[in-house]
Amino acid sequence: MDHLHKLARQQWLIPAIPLAAAAIQSLLPRSAKKLSAGLCLMAMGISCLFALRAFFATLGHAEVVRAVWNFTWFDYGTVSFKLGFILDPLTAAMAAMVTFVGFWIFVNATGYMHDDENFTRFFCFLSLFAAAMLGLVVSNNILLLFMCWELVGLCSYLLIGFWFHKPSAAAACKKAFITTRIGDVGFFLGILMLFWKTGTLNLYTAEGTGALQRVGELLGPGWFGWSVATTIAVLLFIGAMGKSAQFPLHVWLPDAMEGPTPVSALIHAATMVAAGVFMVGRMFPLFIAGGSLEHPTFAMDMVLYVGAFTALFSATIAVAQFDIKRVLAYSTCSQLGFMVMALGAGGLVPGQFHLLTHAFFKALLFLGSGCVIIGTHHEQDMRKMGGLRKYMPITFVCYLIGMLALAGVPPFAGFFSKDEVLLVTFQRSKLAWGMATFAAFLTAFYMTRQMFMVFAGKWRGGDHGAAHGHGGHEPHEVPWNMWLPIAVLSLFAIGLGFFGGKYAHYLGAEEEELSGKALVMGLSVTVGTLGILLGWFLYGRKPLAHASDPDPLESKLGGLFTCLNRKWYVDEFYEATIIRATMVGGTLFRVIDKRLVDGILHSIVWIVRGISQVCRWVGDEFFINGGFDAGCQTVRGSGWLMSKLQSGRVQNYFRILGLGTIILLVVYFLK
Amino acid sequence: MNIPLGHYLILAAILFAIGLAGALTRKNAIIVLMGIEVMFNSAILNLVAFWHYKHFAVPTAQLFAIFAIAIAAAESAVGLALVIAVYRHYKSVDVDEMKELKG
Amino acid sequence: MNIAFWIISAVAVLGAVLAVTLRNLVHCVLALILFFIGIAAHYFLLRADFLGTVQILIYVGAVAVLILFAIMLTHNVTGVDGPKELLGVKWWSGAAIAATLAILLKKAILSDPLATLLPAGDKAQSSVAEIGKALVAGWVVSLEAIAILLTAALIGAVVIALEEIQKS
Repeated sequence: MDHLHKLARQQWLIPAIPLAAAAIQSLLPRSAKKLSAGLCLMAMGISCLFALRAFFATLGHAEVVRAVWNFTWFDYGTVSFKLGFILDPLTAAMAAMVTFVGFWIFVNATGYMHDDENFTRFFCFLSLFAAAMLGLVVSNNILLLFMCWELVGLCSYLLIGFWFHKPSAAAACKKAFITTRIGDVGFFLGILMLFWKTGTLNLYTAEGTGALQRVGELLGPGWFGWSVATTIAVLLFIGAMGKSAQFPLHVWLPDAMEGPTPVSALIHAATMVAAGVFMVGRMFPLFIAGGSLEHPTFAMDMVLYVGAFTALFSATIAVAQFDIKRVLAYSTCSQLGFMVMALGAGGLVPGQFHLLTHAFFKALLFLGSGCVIIGTHHEQDMRKMGGLRKYMPITFVCYLIGMLALAGVPPFAGFFSKDEVLLVTFQRSKLAWGMATFAAFLTAFYMTRQMFMVFAGKWRGGDHGAAHGHGGHEPHEVPWNMWLPIAVLSLFAIGLGFFGGKYAHYLGAEEEELSGKALVMGLSVTVGTLGILLGWFLYGRKPLAHASDPDPLESKLGGLFTCLNRKWYVDEFYEATIIRATMVGGTLFRVIDKRLVDGILHSIVWIVRGISQVCRWVGDEFFINGGFDAGCQTVRGSGWLMSKLQSGRVQNYFRILGLGTIILLVVYFLK
Repeated sequence: MNIPLGHYLILAAILFAIGLAGALTRKNAIIVLMGIEVMFNSAILNLVAFWHYKHFAVPTAQLFAIFAIAIAAAESAVGLALVIAVYRHYKSVDVDEMKELKG
Repeated sequence: MNIAFWIISAVAVLGAVLAVTLRNLVHCVLALILFFIGIAAHYFLLRADFLGTVQILIYVGAVAVLILFAIMLTHNVTGVDGPKELLGVKWWSGAAIAATLAILLKKAILSDPLATLLPAGDKAQSSVAEIGKALVAGWVVSLEAIAILLTAALIGAVVIALEEIQKS
């Protein structure tokens, strides 16, 4: 344990190294491409070594080990505000994954962004993102976690909008920022409530006074009849929904694909979107506090069904997309739904395990799609691809491995983790399990569809060559710095699953024999196979011959396909409801202001007039109307006075300062 | 010397008020800045008087006055540069004409 | 020594009043220099020798010259205040605020027991060496921070003043 404490003291180095790199990179001139990329890779590599050292130190203990290092940030009166870093299996595994996957994605990015003139800025943002993400992972304080959380959101915004001259990218980064911000409001309220109820924001302390070690005190009544712990958990989960793109806050993730593809791989598949899942895992004691397997808390039910619904909902949309990255984006939403669902079913280990394996194979798939995009000269429409197996053999093999892992084919990594997820869900809720199994079927299907559309058949890019400018160029294999990362990641996509069973106890829960193992596993393999077969039946037997050919599924499903292709019209729904409502609200207030308020004023005038007509003989008209006018004048006058305060003249401000000082002194004397 | 501390404090208050009056009443931005300099100096005089009467044995307490002087110098340099920039723009140093930020 | 206090105070107040009331800007600066020297003399009287020197070096030597340069660069030797502003609303309100503040401050000062405090001791000691040591030992971080601040102010001042020159 001493060794662990020593390592916990050094946890801060893991985010600090990329942060230092980002600081240096921000000062580099635009032409220093090699230096910038080298710094970024070196920082990530060193950070990775630290993370791996911490990871192996936590490995091999019989039970969950946890070491923390807290230090005082500032003293405010009698309140001593502490921050801290933590080393436990959750953190160690996550940090190792982020640094390792991140490193290879950075290698790939050196190829993908090779010709971009803002190469240096891109790598500066990447380093900053890595620092923020790692800070989030190693933080032992919910406020520090929140700061890093916001920082990764900022980096995500900067990187989605990296090509900000494209209007769609500029719109997408705003959408991502605002949508996640809606969730963050909930997160922040949860933090405030946690601080209010426990008086500390540190999660664990050596003395057992951390917020998560005292959840037993939080079982009193909170809001809506829930316990305090459940209320906080629900608020925190709203934050996680925004970040991890859960329905109904999922809309930003597919649009985030406007960013460069390595960004999609790093931020919107492997790491940042998993931050929500990670955070729920980190705060897990709050979610389960006061509940049991038979009587779970509301928070757990919410997590379970939101996850299950998102898994199914996004999988259906992914079936009908034509953009190679959008298919993967909806697939990411769907897989995040799986993880969230597993957490909701009480399975901390399966959820986090699926997070780790998913990070590897989804990063692999995204990088693979990046290779395809580069190899086909910036083509993203799958209908205009085809036959790439011949042109890009290495990419093809790696992509195939990633696809099989995602589809849950044994013995690839995704099979093991998805199986665990389904198994733990099966114990809790048959409904959620059914939804997830159907989602798994769809996953296998849409990945097969993608494989056949992209890699099988004939090259269809020439059809639109004239319009595209790169007319008729044949696709080519990508340089080594792009295929090497996906080759490395594909090794993990094959092998990582085997370790899962061995280290299942590693992340937290005790082993228990779960019922229905054979049924769940058998069904999961069956639906995966069925999905692949259906994909082959529709797309593999006779691949599309021309880019303009209709999708085989479209002719079968008709209107439903259009509906799926339009993503169940969620964006349109938001456009028609929330955004419209906001605008209608604005207009309404204006109308109220113009009509109602003025109308009331006019009617008052009318009444006053009526009275004055009646009382004319007293000669009151002058007084009453005059009085009313004087009232209006007062209102106008105060508005005029307030605007006069902002005179823009520096001496007026100065004079007000002097007056304020005089008032303070007078108050001092009167006291 | 048997001047009580209050005399110094009142002197500083009077100087402060003179500086404030100058900064509030004059139209020329340079004189406004000069008024602010007067206010700064009176505040530093307060610091030194307190040091002399309360902590005479600790000479390092004067460091605060030194830092305050340094900051005041930085302020006047930037302030005068701003006056020059404003003059180039408006061809005037009349503070009443600088009202672009009017609400 | 009492008489020295009164004389120096009178000089300082006179300098300050002239500095903010004279019409000719150059005369204003000369009055301001008188005020700075008065303050420096007070520092010497209070046995803060080093501070007195610093006051003369920085304020008389640097700030006053800076203000003179600013006046010359703005081609504005006589003030822009006409006689009609002198007794306008602005003048009265400003003067009233300042006078009220002075009266209130005086009342606050006199109501405090500290006001009657007499000098603690007359131990004559050279403080320059100790201040120097303290600056590079215990207060070195503050010193560096001030150094960075001054550099930033210098660069900022140059940038602000330079930008327009390039345009015109």
